[in-house]
Amino acid sequence: MESNPLHPFELHSYVPLSLFGLDISLNKAVIMMWVVIALASWLLYMAGRQRRLVPTRLQSVAEVLVEFIRSMILDTMGEQGMRFFPFVATLFVFILFCNLLGLIPGTYTVTSQIVVTAAFALFVYGLSIVVGFALHGLKFLQILIPPGTPLWLFPLMVPIEIVSQLARPLSLAVRLFANMTAGHTILAVLFGMALSLPIFLGWLPFVFTIAINGLEVAIAGIQAYIFTILTCVYLGDAITLHGHAEGAH
Amino acid sequence: MPQFDTQFFSSLLFWEWVSFGVLLFLLYKYAFPGILKALDERGQKIRENIEAAERSRAEAERRLAEYEARMKAAQKEAEEVVAQAKVRAQHLMEENERQMSAEAERIKAGAVREIEQERRQAIEDVRRYASELGLRIAEKVLERSLTDADHQRLADEALTAVAKDLEKT
Repeated sequence: MESNPLHPFELHSYVPLSLFGLDISLNKAVIMMWVVIALASWLLYMAGRQRRLVPTRLQSVAEVLVEFIRSMILDTMGEQGMRFFPFVATLFVFILFCNLLGLIPGTYTVTSQIVVTAAFALFVYGLSIVVGFALHGLKFLQILIPPGTPLWLFPLMVPIEIVSQLARPLSLAVRLFANMTAGHTILAVLFGMALSLPIFLGWLPFVFTIAINGLEVAIAGIQAYIFTILTCVYLGDAITLHGHAEGAH
Repeated sequence: MPQFDTQFFSSLLFWEWVSFGVLLFLLYKYAFPGILKALDERGQKIRENIEAAERSRAEAERRLAEYEARMKAAQKEAEEVVAQAKVRAQHLMEENERQMSAEAERIKAGAVREIEQERRQAIEDVRRYASELGLRIAEKVLERSLTDADHQRLADEALTAVAKDLEKT
């Protein structure tokens, strides 16, 4: 085991590739993405193909997942939010599988790459802006004024809301990245301790790694859920304009 | 941190979007429709079953009410029949009694009348016999012919005497 706990996040180019001068070399994270999409699409395809009235286990799980995302969308965006169902559901599935598969020793957690989470976060935020302007035109700028704000507070509230808006993609990206990174770093540190300490002390951090691994499974699900629900909230804000639900930063 | 190593950014971004796009396409095309359809179908089925059950229950309740009403009617009818039978039996008994007492009365009256008639007949017979006897006796005694007026008078006298004697006995 390496002494550097950040070692698991290092990438190495396996196959150098380039597209129009763009470096698209294959590395461990890219392979993991392929594994994720292969596994996710295969499992969900198998689950969706059966369509039994009394579902099999796989079908049940897939249906719970879909129902879960559907109710999330209906709660935050209402009926018209179902247009975004494929995007939101795919986002959730992708992040969830990246988080969970990354917990298997020897694999790579794609979502521990800030560039990956940032791309999703910026896309989600950009989408909400585009949807907002497309639906409401310039009236969408009302999003900068929380309902019930007195006129004399506008000069104060508008800058605050602009900051709050800009914090959205940043917090979205950093939250997922930091959670995934921190969990694996703690595991790596504990493993390092378990290996470097004498056996009568080393069992203690080892036991902790087991407990924290369980915790990490929960965090993998929770973080995928948080990312998705915030996506729904931001899109919901853009659709409904009022309500102005504020996500945790 | 290795994650801030920009060397891999372009590759990661490119493959992230390709992967996400492929996954979105695959799920949108092959997975979500099936799962959503299964959910909808089950929801539809459950709704239909609930409606059918509701209908069956309403039907059952309606039938039960109908049977109960019918049973109540039957019971009432039975009670009426019994009551009527009682009344009829009462009537019959009274009628019987009345008829029987009338019959008895009639028989008694008939007997009384007959007795009376017999009595009269007997008296008449005795009277006729007596008058004839008296006449014959008188004829024998007198040995002479009498006028019809004499006959009548003598007969009446004899008769009265006989009648008196009879009444005395």
